[in-house]
Amino acid sequence: MRHLVIQIFSFLLLFHLAVSSQAETAAQLIRQAMDNYRGLSSYSEASMTIHRPDWERVMSMKVWTQGLDKSLVRITAPIKDKNGGSLLIGDNMWSYAPKINRVIKIPSSMSNQSWMGSDFSNNDIARADEIINNYTHTLLETKKINNRLTYIIQSVPNEDAPVVWGKEIITINDHYVLLKHEFYDQDNILIKTLTASEIKKVGDKYISLKQRMQKTDHANEWTEVVTTVVKFNVTFNKNTFTLSNLRNPR
Amino acid sequence: MINSIRLIFALSWRNLWRNKRRTLIILFAIILGVWAMIVTAAFMRGMVFQMLEDTVDNLAGHVQIHHPQYLDDPVIDNSFNPQSAAVSKLLQDPRIALSSTRIRLAAVIVSERESSGITMLGIDPAQESKVSFIGRSVVEGRFLDSTSDNGIVIGKALADKLQTRLGKRIVLMSQDINNEIADRGFRIVGIFDAPLDPTEKSFIFIAKDNAEKMLGLKNKASEIVLRLHNTDMVNSLVNDYAQFDKNIDVMSWLKAEPYLEMMIELMDSSMFIWYLIVFLAMAFGIINTLLMAVFERTREFGLFQALGQKPGFILFQVWLEAVLMIIVGLVIGNILSWLSVLATGDGIDVSVFARGMEMLNMSNIIPFVITFDDLIVANLTVAILGMLTGLYPAWRASRLVPAHAITRI
Repeated sequence: MRHLVIQIFSFLLLFHLAVSSQAETAAQLIRQAMDNYRGLSSYSEASMTIHRPDWERVMSMKVWTQGLDKSLVRITAPIKDKNGGSLLIGDNMWSYAPKINRVIKIPSSMSNQSWMGSDFSNNDIARADEIINNYTHTLLETKKINNRLTYIIQSVPNEDAPVVWGKEIITINDHYVLLKHEFYDQDNILIKTLTASEIKKVGDKYISLKQRMQKTDHANEWTEVVTTVVKFNVTFNKNTFTLSNLRNPR
Repeated sequence: MINSIRLIFALSWRNLWRNKRRTLIILFAIILGVWAMIVTAAFMRGMVFQMLEDTVDNLAGHVQIHHPQYLDDPVIDNSFNPQSAAVSKLLQDPRIALSSTRIRLAAVIVSERESSGITMLGIDPAQESKVSFIGRSVVEGRFLDSTSDNGIVIGKALADKLQTRLGKRIVLMSQDINNEIADRGFRIVGIFDAPLDPTEKSFIFIAKDNAEKMLGLKNKASEIVLRLHNTDMVNSLVNDYAQFDKNIDVMSWLKAEPYLEMMIELMDSSMFIWYLIVFLAMAFGIINTLLMAVFERTREFGLFQALGQKPGFILFQVWLEAVLMIIVGLVIGNILSWLSVLATGDGIDVSVFARGMEMLNMSNIIPFVITFDDLIVANLTVAILGMLTGLYPAWRASRLVPAHAITRI
């Protein structure tokens, strides 16, 4: 009898450990993917293509990031938008429009609006790392794709998380590169998908050089960001992530 | 004397019915006029009454307490301490029946597909449900059940706009006490239905504790809304506390809704103009009928006078005909309008014009409200002015020269 109780207990304990370690793995995978993608500090150059059925627009930009909570994006082309940009510090986001020579703090009311006319919302840009803390992650599946171990993780936002999605499905490979990020509404209908491709090794890290955001309802509308230059572990000026630098690039 | 009055009365009454058709026609005109006056007045009153009720019910209450700058700039900085000594003392006033303390700020609500600017109300459900419409307007799900309920209650029209529904999560965003973005997810636990779409689209309700936590507010409120035992107490209460404390501003709901105050004043003055117009039409009818009657009876009046009746007697007799006609008209008119108001019951349904009514912030059912004042004014206008107009034909009759009158064919 006593033996049985111990057996049951140890079984429960094991089961519990298994569950929690699994949750931890999923969360860890996400965190590592995030860290990997952003690195400790980075400098990159990229071009963003906004595609619509009847027009297309390409912008070039430089991006500086530090950790997970500081980043600066500056437009370099076309001339019309040159020197415009966005600064992100923590949850706050500022936008600079050279035409009117004004720095605008993006208010909460605009956080769901599109970022520079693209299919990314201000929230997508500002809160990319939110996924670590406000969600419960479960590892759905592990499989081999292109000879790489690939993890498919389901992330469900916590009850009070400031996230409208019902769930997000994230695909990560064993190099911690985020391959796919799908956003589902609360009826489990896919709303938009972020797909990453062209995985390259830069230094000792693997990153994707091409990312495309596609809304499910509009097959002909997407935004693609292609990274052309990327450097990790760069050192910055003290004033890189400041409003004055956003306004007056040096 | 009594006998002669009785005689005149009998003469007038019988004369009135010598030409039945003519008298009935003008009587009908008077009845119609009186009926139109009273029913229109009741309708306009009802409209104002409904607007007042809706406004008071629609979160305005009878008396509102704010930070002095809140109405000019309803932001988080302009909040006050609802537990300060001054406010607590004010709330002890025996004239106050109910009160509700709210955090009321602009916010943005976001679903998967849409977002919308709204006013968020952080409330104590127990207090709020008694003070405003929300307690009895939840048609799907439930109302918040405690000050720490994690749910949100939104309007039907807003749910449609956001393409969301009961049981789904939405995100609420606003600015916290440090002017940083504050946001949080809430699950929709209730959907309310209000008579007006704008109400449904612009207000959402969350529990006060959650609003405080989200915004970093501690012991602060944007407004306290009071319901008094009696609407007549509003002004005295507001006056008593006008200079009460420099951190709060106490004011009546009328001041918070200047548009309504204006409507009420406009209604009062336009009502009187309406009475005059209806009466004017009526007056010409009365004068015309009586002049005709006098003209027909010229020989008769000449004979009366020749036989020794005094002009004053004739004047009184003809004037009495006008008065009798007016009195009969008033009585029937009042009864008819009372009956028609009774017949409409709760009011008339004007939902055919729903969109127009909504622009005026009015609901689809307008009740008829007859006030004693309106009745008095309508009846007095007709009675006094009618008696004055009756004097003219009577005066004409009394001024006839007997010799001419008798010989006239």
